[in-house]
Amino acid sequence: MKISYNWLKEFVDIGVDAPTLARELTNVGLALESLDELEGDSVLDLDVTTNRPDCLSHLGVAREVSAIHGLALRKPQFKLKEGSKLGSEVVSISIEDAELCGRYCGRVVSGVKIGPSPDWLKKRLEAVGMRSINNVADITNYVMMELGHPLHAFDAAKLEGRQIIVRSAALDEKLTTLDGVEHELNPSILVIADAKKPVALAGIMGGAESEITNTTTSILLESAHFSSASIRKTARTLGMSTEASYRFERGADIEMASLACDRAAAMIQELAGGETLRGMIDVYPRKPKPVRVMLRRDRIPAVLGAPVDSDIVHRIFERLELKPAGAAQGWTVEIPTFRVDLAGEEDLLEEIARHHGFDKFPATLPPSRSFGSLLPQEARIRRLRNTLSGAGYSEIYTYSFSNEEMERRFYPDIEPVRLRNPLSEEATILRTSLIPGMLSTVQWNLNRGARNLQMYELSKVYWSGGERRTVILCGCGNLKSANVHEPPREFDFFTLKGDIEELFEEFDTPMRLTTDNIPKYYHPGRFARIGHLALFGELHPAYAEPFKFRQRVYLAEIDLDMLLASSEGRQIDAIPRYPAIRRDFSLLFDRGTQYAAVQRTIAGAGIPELVRVKPFDRMDSGPFPETKYSLSISVVYQSTERTLTDAEVDAFDKKLLKNLEERLGAQLRT
Amino acid sequence: MSSEWIGQLRSIEQQFDRERESVADLRSLEEFRNGYLSRKSGLLTVQLQNIRNVPPEQRAEFGRVANEIKAKIEGALEALQQKISTTEGNAALDRDQLDVTLPGNRRRIGHRHPLTIARQEIEDIFVSMGYTVEDGPEIEKTYYNFEALNIPASHPARDPKDTFYIADDVVLRTHTSPVQVRTMEKTSPPVRIICPGRVYRRDAADATHTPMFHQFECLLVDEGITFSDLKGTLERFHKQFFGEQTETRLRPSFFPFTEPSAEVDVSCVFCNRTGCRVCKYTGWIEVMGSGLVNPRLYAFVNYDANRYTGFAFGGGVERYHMLKHNINDIQLYFQNDIRFLEQF
Repeated sequence: MKISYNWLKEFVDIGVDAPTLARELTNVGLALESLDELEGDSVLDLDVTTNRPDCLSHLGVAREVSAIHGLALRKPQFKLKEGSKLGSEVVSISIEDAELCGRYCGRVVSGVKIGPSPDWLKKRLEAVGMRSINNVADITNYVMMELGHPLHAFDAAKLEGRQIIVRSAALDEKLTTLDGVEHELNPSILVIADAKKPVALAGIMGGAESEITNTTTSILLESAHFSSASIRKTARTLGMSTEASYRFERGADIEMASLACDRAAAMIQELAGGETLRGMIDVYPRKPKPVRVMLRRDRIPAVLGAPVDSDIVHRIFERLELKPAGAAQGWTVEIPTFRVDLAGEEDLLEEIARHHGFDKFPATLPPSRSFGSLLPQEARIRRLRNTLSGAGYSEIYTYSFSNEEMERRFYPDIEPVRLRNPLSEEATILRTSLIPGMLSTVQWNLNRGARNLQMYELSKVYWSGGERRTVILCGCGNLKSANVHEPPREFDFFTLKGDIEELFEEFDTPMRLTTDNIPKYYHPGRFARIGHLALFGELHPAYAEPFKFRQRVYLAEIDLDMLLASSEGRQIDAIPRYPAIRRDFSLLFDRGTQYAAVQRTIAGAGIPELVRVKPFDRMDSGPFPETKYSLSISVVYQSTERTLTDAEVDAFDKKLLKNLEERLGAQLRT
Repeated sequence: MSSEWIGQLRSIEQQFDRERESVADLRSLEEFRNGYLSRKSGLLTVQLQNIRNVPPEQRAEFGRVANEIKAKIEGALEALQQKISTTEGNAALDRDQLDVTLPGNRRRIGHRHPLTIARQEIEDIFVSMGYTVEDGPEIEKTYYNFEALNIPASHPARDPKDTFYIADDVVLRTHTSPVQVRTMEKTSPPVRIICPGRVYRRDAADATHTPMFHQFECLLVDEGITFSDLKGTLERFHKQFFGEQTETRLRPSFFPFTEPSAEVDVSCVFCNRTGCRVCKYTGWIEVMGSGLVNPRLYAFVNYDANRYTGFAFGGGVERYHMLKHNINDIQLYFQNDIRFLEQF
């Protein structure tokens, strides 16, 4: 809301300059957006909160100024001369639904001469951001900016049957408004109609047909009050927002309607000539009963933190035109109709707090009666993040919105959550997995020159039945780039698998690896799963293709709940007191033999002293048949009770090798 | 009365003195030592074995000179050995020398997302002040997102222009306030919680808006809680988060769920109130909304509005992080450019 400093001075004797005034208004809740210096005037653009429609006018802001400085508020002074002919004989007004229109004040002014406004009026309107149209239209805008009440002027000659009916539109009716737009109306829209047709959208905009023109001589001034819900709904339906609808949506002052009507009529007489017909036509089916709110004195320190002197409280109320009456425990306050925001005791406490000054209340800390705690899983999640950071993964945050076609590529069976009003066609559902977001992020970075990436996201996915958190890991390019010290090392399948092993160990979860049920988007030869706890492998080339990846990309999807279900109190093993003995073997196996089988067979040899098995070399060709490959394994034996003898260890070796020979056909290379 | 025998000893000594200058490494030192002192063929050893041929009256003199020369040679060899080892050791260290000005061979360390860092920091501050962290669903009933927060059906905030709808009565939560209502529903006062989380507003992305962002909201309801407590709590939090020099200012405002309501400003973290572009030369930056819980809300959760008072406030995690690090585009948090992420 733009406020002219000079205009404001008509209502209150401001003793401070515009920048000081702006600071003071900010401190009572009318925050300054900008301050512009015009020729001989200052314009304050104030951010008026939606609960304060009373401050959408110079009079309303002046009232706040009067309360800040304890100055008297001057209401506008004017004289209205009425003619002898009764206005109600010229125009009749009726309201069909008092719920939607609580009051309609009308005045007829005849013999006016439409023309340009005087310079002072043009300047005033320009200062507050309005364009000058003609003297009558400008006067209605001027009074709205002055008193806060929206007005409209009809060319009375164009009202069929000299009638005004406030009613709901009929289904097939149409109306072209002042802006030249034709609207198709319906019964949810409140209109001002003459005997035959709608002539204005109530509280929003007048119709083009009954508009004031240079040939207009007789006008009907409308100063009405409409239900805020109805105006808001119509404005939204029609996609319109005007100065009038802005005020009616927030709540106009029903009692102001008559004053605004007279004020405008008086100005028209003065600036456009003509005669105001006698009597205001005031259809007022819903005169509101006075609202009284109780304020208990002891609630002031109890809620605000410090007492406020009763004289100060009384003064604040009076300057704001709230009518306080002393009561046993405090005050009974009559709320004026322009303060649509005041309904309860807490609202009055706020009035005291903001006009006494927020800075007058001390800053204290509430007494501590509780202990704080993080979310139950937060400690584990922080541990997970630390582990991932240590392994080189940086965290990303992607949007929860996603593209349905893209999501369905990966999880076609999940019924997604659909947005009714998405922002774009590319983001119509909530994501069902973290894969598309991750791949798009990889693409973003590759397109900007990055080659070597390790990233993770820990976030929610959604489906028609709910939402849950999950984790995705991704790696591509080099794990370590070439540098002056050593050659590059690629991020490969086993890098990813190593990281997963690290995570499973960190969270004490056993890894039971299988390669069944391969999702389509994984490379079938480079995929493994650990039940439903983790799926990982290389992205299938066909799925990588749309992203134009020119390098292999590895993904791991991990079930967060599994990690979080692990216990916190881990059993720590003692350091063995007796030496470990390591033996190395090179063995030939048939080409289809997987390491898992080797491992199982070794474990199946039943040697409790066998504490570790590790493959350390693999050769796919060499001085052996093409149907074989060579695998070098080291095994470590250790007893918790004594030092093992050579003879014992030899016997273990024998047993182990025999098992491998018999079950897998392994041959010891010599 | 020098004799031929003594002369021979002296010439060995002179030869030793001549030759020792050219001994440069440990191997030639060993040869050199053997040349004089080896048990079988050393020059001095052989000469000493000749003592039996020395006339008896010269033997004492011969023995004295021979021992003197032997001691001298041994001493000189010892010193030589020391000198050569030191030189050789130094040479070995020289050969080990690295160009330590080359860059280190770094492992890749990952980085937590800046919003994770900021959220954890905020959570930790409030936990230290006795708050419990709570969370709730992002897909939320309109009842919790609006009605129970005193935002009636006709309120503009509920417009599908601003809020993502999934069904008539289901939305993507527009703030984390529903968690407050859900917590109050299941807990009696005292309630002292912080609710951080992801929220959604139907804004097209630009430098200051994204349709998804993160909030944290705090709620404290207990007996005797006042506006002063709200001020003190916000002051303390901002000093912890931005630094002890930070001042906090409350200005009257309006929110449907608080009364009185206040916008919260902090003294500009960039100019410390002297005025700069970031604070538009006001010295203050708006950071969050706050207020005393509107007593009307207590009716929704069956709290006794005469017995309990409380305060609530909420801010954007992105906004706080942006202010702390002078970041001017919120979209950076969701683009995930690795060059941005690696700076945290």
